[in-house]
Amino acid sequence: MKRTVPTRSCAAIAAALLACVAPAFGAQSVPRNFTDEVGRAITVPAKVNRIVSLAPNLTETVYALGLGDRVVGDTNWCDTPEAAKSKPHVGDPQNPSIEAIVALHPDLVLATTSINAVDTADSLQRLGIAVYTSDPHTVRGMLESTGHIADVIGVPQQGADLVGKLQQRLDALHARLSDRPMAHVLFVVWLDPLQSIGPSTFIADALRWASAESVVTTSQPWPRLSIEEVVRVQPDYIVFADDHEGQATKLADLRARAVWRDLDAVVRGHVVDVSQEIIRPSPGLIDVIEQLARDVHPEAFASARENSAAQANCAEGTAPCVR
Amino acid sequence: MSSAAGSASPMVTSERTPGVRLKVEQASYAYAATDRSAPKFALGPTSFEAQQKELVAILGPNASGKSTLLKLLAGIERPLSGRIEVDNTEVSSLDLRTRAQRIALVQQESELLFPLRVWEYVLQGRYPYGKRLRFESEEDCLLAANALAQVGADALRDRWMDQLSGGEKQRVILARALAQQPSLLLLDEPTQHLDIGGKVELLRRLRRLADESRYTVLVVTHELNLAAEFSDRIVLLHKGKCLRVGTPAEVYDRALLEEVFEAPLDVEMRAGGRPRVILGANFGT
Amino acid sequence: MRPLTPKRVALICAGLGALLFVAAVVSLRIGAYPISVVDIVKTLGSGILGRWESIPSEHRSIIFDVRLPRILLGILVGASLSTAGTGFQALLRNPLADPYVLGVSSGAALGAIIALIAAPHAAGAVQIAAFVGAAATTAAVYFLGRRGGQVDSATLLLAGIVAVSFLSAIIMFLMTTMSGRDMRGMAFWLMGDLASTLPTNPLPWFEALFFVFIVAGGAIYATSSDLNLILTGEQEARHLGVNVNRVRLVVYVAASFLTGLAVSVSGTIGYVGILVPHVMRMLFGTDYRLLIPTSAIGGAILVVVADTLARSVLSPTELPVGALTALAGAPVFIYLMRRRVR
Repeated sequence: MKRTVPTRSCAAIAAALLACVAPAFGAQSVPRNFTDEVGRAITVPAKVNRIVSLAPNLTETVYALGLGDRVVGDTNWCDTPEAAKSKPHVGDPQNPSIEAIVALHPDLVLATTSINAVDTADSLQRLGIAVYTSDPHTVRGMLESTGHIADVIGVPQQGADLVGKLQQRLDALHARLSDRPMAHVLFVVWLDPLQSIGPSTFIADALRWASAESVVTTSQPWPRLSIEEVVRVQPDYIVFADDHEGQATKLADLRARAVWRDLDAVVRGHVVDVSQEIIRPSPGLIDVIEQLARDVHPEAFASARENSAAQANCAEGTAPCVR
Repeated sequence: MSSAAGSASPMVTSERTPGVRLKVEQASYAYAATDRSAPKFALGPTSFEAQQKELVAILGPNASGKSTLLKLLAGIERPLSGRIEVDNTEVSSLDLRTRAQRIALVQQESELLFPLRVWEYVLQGRYPYGKRLRFESEEDCLLAANALAQVGADALRDRWMDQLSGGEKQRVILARALAQQPSLLLLDEPTQHLDIGGKVELLRRLRRLADESRYTVLVVTHELNLAAEFSDRIVLLHKGKCLRVGTPAEVYDRALLEEVFEAPLDVEMRAGGRPRVILGANFGT
Repeated sequence: MRPLTPKRVALICAGLGALLFVAAVVSLRIGAYPISVVDIVKTLGSGILGRWESIPSEHRSIIFDVRLPRILLGILVGASLSTAGTGFQALLRNPLADPYVLGVSSGAALGAIIALIAAPHAAGAVQIAAFVGAAATTAAVYFLGRRGGQVDSATLLLAGIVAVSFLSAIIMFLMTTMSGRDMRGMAFWLMGDLASTLPTNPLPWFEALFFVFIVAGGAIYATSSDLNLILTGEQEARHLGVNVNRVRLVVYVAASFLTGLAVSVSGTIGYVGILVPHVMRMLFGTDYRLLIPTSAIGGAILVVVADTLARSVLSPTELPVGALTALAGAPVFIYLMRRRVR
């Protein structure tokens, strides 16, 4: 007999081996299809290495996923984290330079409805560039968005981890505050003239997670409020999101203004200045929510404060260090 | 038109000394030359006088210097040389309001921006008297009414200015000038837009104003026959020069007129010593 | 022949003044914080008598720190704008002229936007910068608009148009560089707004505003006889003894001052300067000795009413008062024009 049987079995084994290995190869080169949050169908390569972000919150999100090195371009306004400032800039979010974006050869461009123009995404799509537009209206929505973006980039596990951690923190906060009444706050967007937020805005939702309810009842998103209304409802806390000047300056400013200085909140010094991140649907928002919760519900965090006060005293040497 | 309306009120004719009202002595004027050469004289040295109750015609063809002389008389421009005096005061030394009390200028009126009633318009002639921000007194109203009566425009009192005919409007403008109670009444080509009936009526009125109300009236015109018929004196201008001053009979010399008006003319002397000018026999050739 | 008498002027102004009083009283009653009429009277009474302790501090705050200053400001701004409007209409010989056509408001807006960019939280910076901008534009347009050393209507109007377009271009450029948040302050200012926070002690402010209004408004009123004459013809007015050049300069400066002041404290409230003089003219005639005071009071009434509506229509949200004067002004204007044509 000649050696035909061994040849055939070799071929079969080779084919079987190839069949095992093939999917791995195929997976790496097959592009993936998604639908973004505004209903646009996009196609991204298997591995997304070059990302251009068109909004500060999206830049922050990508960095939070640990993929900062994949960001090849962002906007002039992207300032968190620090490293984002030194990335190549494509302009400002409302009016980025399409040419600059194209020149960076991105695999994926991230945009959001809250700040980017629809035209930008349309133009990029026409040029064959994949644009994922997120559309978060609530904090939960932001978390879901983060997960989706992680999927699109191709790191679903990291996404799930990040979202899981953030959700944990929110749940812990909720638990701590669940037996307390909500604080009534006036969120000041602008003082002259007085402008606040409506109940369906993103900020209002973020406030609710800190167990704070905006005193504004009208349905407009950015209502210009009468100061009389503020006097009528007498909010517990007045919240600014300026972080240029600090709480002390803001309080002093309000104390110097007629009508404001007679408000309960101002008299008691219940004026809070939180980071501007509160308007940003990004992972950093959770930090701000926690900070705000501490500011407007100090009693719920008393033990924590005592601890940190004790630690501070220990560091300064004004009290014996315990444990 | 009864003379009672004009001379009944003692204030229409003020207590000014009779005699020479207007004295023009060697007055001349030139516009600034553009090429720094000798200034082009719009009006060479001119002299004449006018008295109370006189109607003087400033006569000449177009571009003879009539408007320039009028501007000097009204005080709009200062004479380059010589003097112009009204009631023994030099015109250019008067302040605006005093000047408006002595001299009234009647011109073709410009478009009114807002509607105005005739009596309101005439009352404005009282502006030079009293304070700057003023409310009209009873005396003002009386004088304005008088002025309207003097021009025969009583009936127009409550009409709107923009609804008047050309002749009516001119009478009202004249009334406003009279309300100023001037010594000197200046009219700039007042017969321009009037038909022959209107022209005669106007000149008759001016004649009456001079005779009965003792105004000194100066009319700038190029109407030869009207000037001859109604004026006491004529100042004949030609190309910026004052050629002759005198009565119509003295001034209307055929050769002179033909040269000035550059047309074939004949001068007839009528009964009463007033000349009449007609087109010459060789017109048409 | 029934000439205008001081008594008639006083009578008509008293009547309009009564209307203004009613509007102010109604305005005092309206607001997001409910205060009954009884409480208002009590608060006012206690305030006048100096017995602050007997009324709740919230009432005092609302009446004396929120509503009353706003009403007073509305009166001053409305009176200033309409008086300026009558002046400019005479100056430019155009019944369609409004106080903003010569660029005063654009200069003020530019000053305000620069202040918002450079010092957004400095108290009073916007107002002062706006006034400086208005004054500078007034001077610039004056020098551009002269012909032969005198104010000339046509040249002035052209200079104003040039100024407006030039300043608008700069403003637009600056607005694109401003961040979205700072823009908010600007947007309301451009539409006209009486709610800018007054400084901690508003009384000297009001005294200053009132003083300027009296002086500038008085200067214009002093020329009202002159203006009556000028409107029948400039040459004729000169021959009647009017110092036309001086009158025009006085009116130009005074009206620009009034406009600049009004715009500096409340932004560009439209229609007041053009509509009120027209309405008053249709009601009371074109005699400026009556037109100026009636326009002043009429303008005050218009702004107070418009602001009251702005505060109450969508309460507790407030609309900018300029939006209401425009919304109400246009149809009224059209109605009046049609009546006149008939």
